Amino acid sequence: MTTTTQTSTPLFKRMMSNSMGAREARLAWILILPTIVIVLGLVLFPAIFSIWISFRDVGLNNLDSVFSAPFKGFGNYTAVFNDFAFKYNSITNMGAALTSIVYSFSGTILTVVVGLLAALLLNQPFRARGLSRAIFLFPYVAPIVSVAYVWRWMLDPKPSGVINYLSIQLNLIDRPIPFLAKVGWALLLVIIFEGWRYFPFAMLMILARLQAVDKTLYEAAKVDGANALQRFWNITLPELRFVIGAIFLLRLIWTFNKFDDIFLLTGGGFGTKVLPVLTYEFSFRLFDFGKGAATSMILLVILVVFLVFYARFVMRDVE
Amino acid sequence: MANIESQKATFIEHLARRMTWPRFFFWLGMTVFWTTIIFPFYWMVSSSFKTGAEIAGRTPAFVPGTLRWNAYQQLFNENWDRFHDFGTNVTNSILVAIPTAIIAVILSMLGAYAIARLKFRGKELMLNSVLLIYLFPGILLIIPLFAMLAQISRWIGLFDIQDNLAVLVFTYLATTLPVALYMLANYFRTIPDEIEQAALIDGCTRLGVIWRITMPLSVPALVSVGIYTFMIAWNELLYALVFLNDRTMFTMPIKIMAIFNDPSPQMEVVMAASVVMSLPVMLLFLVLERYLAEGLSAGGVKG
Repeated sequence: MTTTTQTSTPLFKRMMSNSMGAREARLAWILILPTIVIVLGLVLFPAIFSIWISFRDVGLNNLDSVFSAPFKGFGNYTAVFNDFAFKYNSITNMGAALTSIVYSFSGTILTVVVGLLAALLLNQPFRARGLSRAIFLFPYVAPIVSVAYVWRWMLDPKPSGVINYLSIQLNLIDRPIPFLAKVGWALLLVIIFEGWRYFPFAMLMILARLQAVDKTLYEAAKVDGANALQRFWNITLPELRFVIGAIFLLRLIWTFNKFDDIFLLTGGGFGTKVLPVLTYEFSFRLFDFGKGAATSMILLVILVVFLVFYARFVMRDVE
Repeated sequence: MANIESQKATFIEHLARRMTWPRFFFWLGMTVFWTTIIFPFYWMVSSSFKTGAEIAGRTPAFVPGTLRWNAYQQLFNENWDRFHDFGTNVTNSILVAIPTAIIAVILSMLGAYAIARLKFRGKELMLNSVLLIYLFPGILLIIPLFAMLAQISRWIGLFDIQDNLAVLVFTYLATTLPVALYMLANYFRTIPDEIEQAALIDGCTRLGVIWRITMPLSVPALVSVGIYTFMIAWNELLYALVFLNDRTMFTMPIKIMAIFNDPSPQMEVVMAASVVMSLPVMLLFLVLERYLAEGLSAGGVKG
């Protein structure tokens, strides 16, 4: 009896043994098992399966027998790389890859800058501070569908479109512009929307960090005769450096993955087609799932570059 | 009259004396932020009370003529035309969001307890992979999920993947569980475990400890995780768009899309639907803002 337990695998022995530690580990696995099953089954397996699909010819006709879909080699990838919607054509027609990069970098920079401004404002003591903080979070917590459609409605080129009306009244423009249906304007506006909707995230994180800054630093600087701008530049910014770096990359990744915002605002038209929208179109408009999966893999590769950068520079520094 | 004028003058003088440049910039910034944030929401609510004529007028109507509920009546009218029966869609959203929230809270509470309190191998690996999943694009998963579930439903034949709200709940769980797990594990670590140890020594089982001690102590965290997962499921667009085809099965976001994309869209109805969809989450948020804000900065709402 003793010999058999000794020859069995260590893992098995541990699982079967009745020591305190083993019982604890067993309970831990039982507690966490449902979560693991769901996440493995619906995130990890699909993610790997996606690689497989990207090398196969999968359409609506063989979706029911997807595991026997014909192998296509890199066919899907070359098809994506040569697709007019993907590759760079001209400055007014940048293609999804470059549009994605422009959109996510500008959107993220705007988000962080606006978030920083909001956090600095809210860090001042004033009467409506709590209320202001709650209100400032509105764009971030409101459902994306409703805010996107309000923006579309406000930016409408109809005479009753309020932004066009006000801009004409203020002599900024002389005739209505279909902001979300015009190359250039459309990309600019989805970037501004990005800043408007996601600055509260940056604001909250920066605000939390600001409140942890040692107040005596400012007093010492004041005594030494530093003005407000100098204090900001030499104390506040260095203190915020890491948190801003972390927010920047986190938001960059999320913006890069973002589908809803552009899909709802422009439908991916007028020079705003980003990789997630392109993936959706290949898969669920053209029903070429292989090509869609290949597009999403390209997106993932770019994302992994971000992630490696994130892990190497930001995660390490934050600790 | 002169009295009022002089009062005005002293008020402006007073203001000028109190107004320094930093103060000026502060209030300027505040005004800009408040206006740009509030105006879209004002526009949503006010447009939902406008008439078709005000919506399509020669100038925008800044204030609706009267407080008319026509758009809302149309929206909820079952017989209005082929798709304005919004009540069904509200029900669908509730049927998806509430089970998602409840199941996510229960499962992540158990998992997070294991991570925070128990020793087992592979814990660190698990926490790190949870973080990675958090950064994973949803668009990448939708194709394989769609193909995989189509395949499974053909094999088993018990369920349809199209127009099945339970399938949606499962996919939402997959995207919300990692976040919930992470947030709760972090919270549990802040609770000192002396009480738990005492209870264990007194003969309480681990599950008893979770039920009697950990859960009551972490009600705020559980509530905020519940609300986050609720909000994620309530607002989700992409998976619902792919998995739902039948208008009677639509959740609110894609129903609003359908109303908006109608050949002759009625903006007041779209705005009314947006108000109906936003109101519950905004109210929940305002009431519970104090502890929700904390969770938000911990990354509660992805995206």
